[in-house]
Amino acid sequence: MRGLRRAVLAVGLALLVSVVVRFRDDATAPPPAAGGWRELQGPDLR
Amino acid sequence: MTLPASDEAPIGPVGSRIAVIGGGILGVRIARELLTPIAGGAIATGGVVLVTRRPDRAKVLSGSFGSSVAVFSDEHGTTELGAEVSTVVLAGAAGTQLDAARDNLRAGRHVVATSDDPDEVEAMLALGPDARASNRTFVIGAAMAPGLSCLLVSHAADLLDRVDEIHVARHGAAGPACARQRLRALRGTATDWRDGEWVERAGFSGRELCWFPDPIGARDCYRAALADPMLLVPEFEGVERVTARIAANRRDRALAPFPVLLPPPVEGGLGAVRVELRGEVGGERRTVVYGVLDRPAVAASATAAVTALRVAAGGCAPGATGLAGLGATRPILVELARRGVRAAVFEGAHASPLEVQVPVPEATVSTVTPEGEENR
Repeated sequence: MRGLRRAVLAVGLALLVSVVVRFRDDATAPPPAAGGWRELQGPDLR
Repeated sequence: MTLPASDEAPIGPVGSRIAVIGGGILGVRIARELLTPIAGGAIATGGVVLVTRRPDRAKVLSGSFGSSVAVFSDEHGTTELGAEVSTVVLAGAAGTQLDAARDNLRAGRHVVATSDDPDEVEAMLALGPDARASNRTFVIGAAMAPGLSCLLVSHAADLLDRVDEIHVARHGAAGPACARQRLRALRGTATDWRDGEWVERAGFSGRELCWFPDPIGARDCYRAALADPMLLVPEFEGVERVTARIAANRRDRALAPFPVLLPPPVEGGLGAVRVELRGEVGGERRTVVYGVLDRPAVAASATAAVTALRVAAGGCAPGATGLAGLGATRPILVELARRGVRAAVFEGAHASPLEVQVPVPEATVSTVTPEGEENR
């Protein structure tokens, strides 16, 4: 009985860890370079 | 695509009064934007009326605005605005604006609605014949997205000979009501325009990495029940695909089925809108990407207020339309830029980055902290 409890606890902990890891890592990783935006100036809006 | 001749007229003085219905974050900011002097230094309107359904809120706002704004409490929606009010801006929570729009159109007023609820926007578009019959203009979705997004699409489309695809993405929320609407949208069913027909897709599907102006940068965006496509499709004949997405993360997705136990913040942080158009110029494929970075409440209120000033001045075609079909894209964008809501174009990684500016006019900084359900 005690072994079953330990097994259930271990499985629960593993699921919790996997969920946390997924939250941390599963976002799409953007490439490092950013920028490239230029504010629209007067001529752009005429 | 060429913009109509009326497009070149500036935002000028109005003379008549403008009423704002809704005393939350958005409504208060719209009232302040309406009191902001236009180019030349004059106040454009003949007066601003602000209607809130909470008596306690009306007292607070009266103390804040003083004599510059007439604040009314209207718990039951029965307040008579008076004949001198020519234009009404609806700034209540999304899903509560349809009846007020119908009543004010029947009363012979121009209406500017800020709702981003797709069902409500669809019902509002159906009021087009009523608006045309009463010779009044009904602008739908005059906020950040839809609203500013429609203006950016309209302006970007001017650079293309033919528009094939329009993709809108947004990040952020204005206030508590807007945050709740964002969550409803993500839990709802997205409606995309694809090859000449509407296609329903599940919310939180179609993850796509979208680049917003810095410092927001790249965010995962998902399909959601958004109103942008139904406002854009009628304005771009022959467009093949129109989609709209919201930035969200995996935590939002995992917690989506559960009730929100913690209330959303009084006002959200920095937000952004990004539009991407694909089409042809001179037989060559071309992609144009525009974006705006600002607090959602600031950008939405400025868009709604400037639109109301433009509509109240007259000259806009009667009927129901989104901002892409109003025929006033450039004057509104110029006035928004003057007020600090500046659009940017993505030119690739080698261009100089946009200097991040988050304009917060003094008048909006002193806004009384809104509380309760009317906030958006």
